[in-house]
Amino acid sequence: MSSRKTRRVGVVGLVASLVSLAVAASLMASGAGAGPQAAFAVPRNDTLYTSGKQWGPYTNFNPLKPDYNTGIVGLVYETLFRYDPLKDRFIPWLASNGKWSGRSKYVVTVRNGVKWSDGKPLTAADVKFTFETQKNTGAQYGTMWKTGLSRITTRGRTVTFHFRGVPNYQEWDSNRYTVPIVPRHIFRSYSARELVTGNASNTRRIVGTGPFRYGGGAGSSQTLQWTRRDGWWANAIGYRMPMRYIVDIHNTSNTASLQNFLQSRIDLSNNFFPGINRHVGRGVGTYYNRAPYMLAANTAWLVPNTTKKPLNDVNFRRALAESIDVNRIVVADYQRIVSKANPTGLLPTWSRWIDQAQVRRLGFSFSIARARSRLASNGYRDRNGDGFVEDKDGATINLRLIVPKGWSDWETAIQIIADSAKDAGIKITPAYPDFNALVEERNTGKFELVINNEKQIGNTPYTYYDYLFRMPILASQTVSNFHRFSSARTWSLAQQLNKIQSTNVAQAKRVHSAIQRVILQQLPAIPLWYNGMWAQYNTRYWSNFPTSTGNQATPSTWNGYLNMTGIDALAKLRKK
Amino acid sequence: MKWYLARKLLLYLLTFVVAVTIDWAIPRLMPGDPVSGLIARLQADPTAAQEMHGYYTESFGLDEPLWRQYLNFWLGLFHGDLGPSIAYVGSRVTDLIKTAIPYTLALLVPAIVLSYIAGNRVGAMAARRKVLDNTALPVSYVLTATPYMWLALVLAYIFAFRWQVFPVSGAYDFALQPEWSWEFAKSFLYHWTLPFLTLFLVSFGGWAIGMRNLIIYELEADYANYLQDLGAPNRLVRRYAYRNAVLPQMSGLALALGAVVGGALVTEIVFGYPGVGSLIITAIQNRDYFLLQGIFLFIILGVLIANFIVDIAYVIVDPRTRTGLQGS
Repeated sequence: MSSRKTRRVGVVGLVASLVSLAVAASLMASGAGAGPQAAFAVPRNDTLYTSGKQWGPYTNFNPLKPDYNTGIVGLVYETLFRYDPLKDRFIPWLASNGKWSGRSKYVVTVRNGVKWSDGKPLTAADVKFTFETQKNTGAQYGTMWKTGLSRITTRGRTVTFHFRGVPNYQEWDSNRYTVPIVPRHIFRSYSARELVTGNASNTRRIVGTGPFRYGGGAGSSQTLQWTRRDGWWANAIGYRMPMRYIVDIHNTSNTASLQNFLQSRIDLSNNFFPGINRHVGRGVGTYYNRAPYMLAANTAWLVPNTTKKPLNDVNFRRALAESIDVNRIVVADYQRIVSKANPTGLLPTWSRWIDQAQVRRLGFSFSIARARSRLASNGYRDRNGDGFVEDKDGATINLRLIVPKGWSDWETAIQIIADSAKDAGIKITPAYPDFNALVEERNTGKFELVINNEKQIGNTPYTYYDYLFRMPILASQTVSNFHRFSSARTWSLAQQLNKIQSTNVAQAKRVHSAIQRVILQQLPAIPLWYNGMWAQYNTRYWSNFPTSTGNQATPSTWNGYLNMTGIDALAKLRKK
Repeated sequence: MKWYLARKLLLYLLTFVVAVTIDWAIPRLMPGDPVSGLIARLQADPTAAQEMHGYYTESFGLDEPLWRQYLNFWLGLFHGDLGPSIAYVGSRVTDLIKTAIPYTLALLVPAIVLSYIAGNRVGAMAARRKVLDNTALPVSYVLTATPYMWLALVLAYIFAFRWQVFPVSGAYDFALQPEWSWEFAKSFLYHWTLPFLTLFLVSFGGWAIGMRNLIIYELEADYANYLQDLGAPNRLVRRYAYRNAVLPQMSGLALALGAVVGGALVTEIVFGYPGVGSLIITAIQNRDYFLLQGIFLFIILGVLIANFIVDIAYVIVDPRTRTGLQGS
């Protein structure tokens, strides 16, 4: 055993492994994109650790392409306005003000004294340039150029957006706070293709107006570091970021994220942690200190394929809706960190647009007895005695309900739905294809039932109406009307609403009410529960996180939330 | 020797072409259109979504006939370009792999080499030594039968969650960025320990059992008995037995590589280690043909190269093959 030969092999092996380690380490140092500023450990008490947004490597630094890295819009690039969904108001941000001039001109005044992080001033030309990049094929915010925006002119600090005909006011309002303004002097050298699909990942060219600059971590799958910069324009209006660094942690498994969170390695977590309610109060905070703990971020819908029997029958859809015990999902599946949705499916932040009297009159509610009698009176009877109803023509009904594989909360939810519908005599078989297979089935209309929550909180319920009623129905439905509900009249109502300003409350309410009547009566999709704006705070190093009774803001680093009131949430934190 | 090498090389080349072709084809057999999945994830607005679909399909070259896509793949390969990533639009597959691969190698290479050396030594020691055999053997059996994922979870639970002596996840402290410094190196080693141990322990068990059995077999061979009868010391006999027993273990090493690579991928996922493990999961979930191809290409190359090295080493270590080659 201890011969010279084996000893030599041992030594060779050890040397080989050490060499490989060294090679690996050197590759890592060169490949992981260590920034020049990043050569030290950031101090714990001056750093806010966040997680829950990033699932892939930190590669996309292009604010004009969706799925950008955590913080790109909000911390680095900023928008003309921000929108506060909790108080339903727009906050002038890079624009010091903006208003309609006549019916079809929107005039913005670019804020004075705003500087890019390279020292150059923000100009009206930057704003014009940014919006004009969206004319490119495939651009994320390209719709505005196809639905009315015709040209942009500038004069001094003012930018005028000219529209053909009556503008789509509701959609335009969304653009006001979602389109990130980029520096023309840097972005003009990018090709149209790079602007639409590129990553703009040269870290020396990440130049924004926001409170942070790039610190390190580009390309890595572990952390992205942002460093506070001096001279953020908003200091002048009372905003100051209390943390010198923000480090975002790439999501791995939920269990690992939860452990890191509970061990105080993460301060603000936007992960979904089932059972987090048990920790609330013991060093862990949430927006509400009791159920539902979280703000609502979107509605989870049960989407029926309305072109397939028996789901094409509104009576069957209503019986199905009445047969689902959503409270059981809320309690057993989510331990009350979500709440039951309004029968219109509209989020609580839109409650002022919901016609509550109409909801009371026409809304569905859970009742097995009512579901049973509705089925019976419409010809759905159990003819073969198997406990499940058959179709009017005697054909068996066995509906396949799908959710993506691995989405464990939804997997449980559809088992509860199937179980609950069984009591009313409706047979539902849960199935769990993987995400892409599900998308294929859903988009091409091959599915029967699917759960979907893709439309997020925002400034207007119009986005939900668009999601429910958009016409025409194509061979592949990519982002809306998966249920293939065909009603030209309702779609034109939605279009009508799009052309009404939100300030015109009475007129808007009338149209809202008419559209909601269709949702309540026709049930193109069945609203189930509100998914949460998952946010849990570890209060060991930082305090004054958003709560319902204190600092009311959107406590999320997910894309699109910092440019709501996520920035306020960060600015109001306090060191402990 | 020259002919031997040429023949081997040709065989490796053939294996490479076949493996790469399968690697290209398999992701494309999965159901689901990657571009639709991408659009769904990007949450584009409805008008833009239609346009994006066509735009991305074209820019990924997925609108071309399959034979053309296959040809493009080989052309790209010769230019060192593995194509664009679909899951991480805007990134090149080569860049994604380049960032992740060092972490995977830093786990794999030491785990393979050290477990091989330690396993063989302990196995050889255990053979025909009652006390050691009764302890090392059952432990090795348990270790080698343990799935990587499970051992990883157990280690994470005990050391990271219960006792909190090692970190739960990551390859270095969240407060650091990769750089050349003692602080980073220390943090790296600290985070590397548990995933390394997972890979090391499972493989270690396999090598130890194999070696122990082989040594027993060799010690019963005629030459060993003859040596013993001549009065040669035990150590000498064992030394000869070891040299013979190492040969099948070397072939075993080549065969085991695939399994260890698979083990490394799941271990990385458990420990949130930023290697290719998590990339491969995302690539599969998002039908990222190019990224999947790229990662598998790396695995194919790695396994083939390692096999080739074992082949060469075999010739050097085993004099019989050498003389056979020389035709004497």
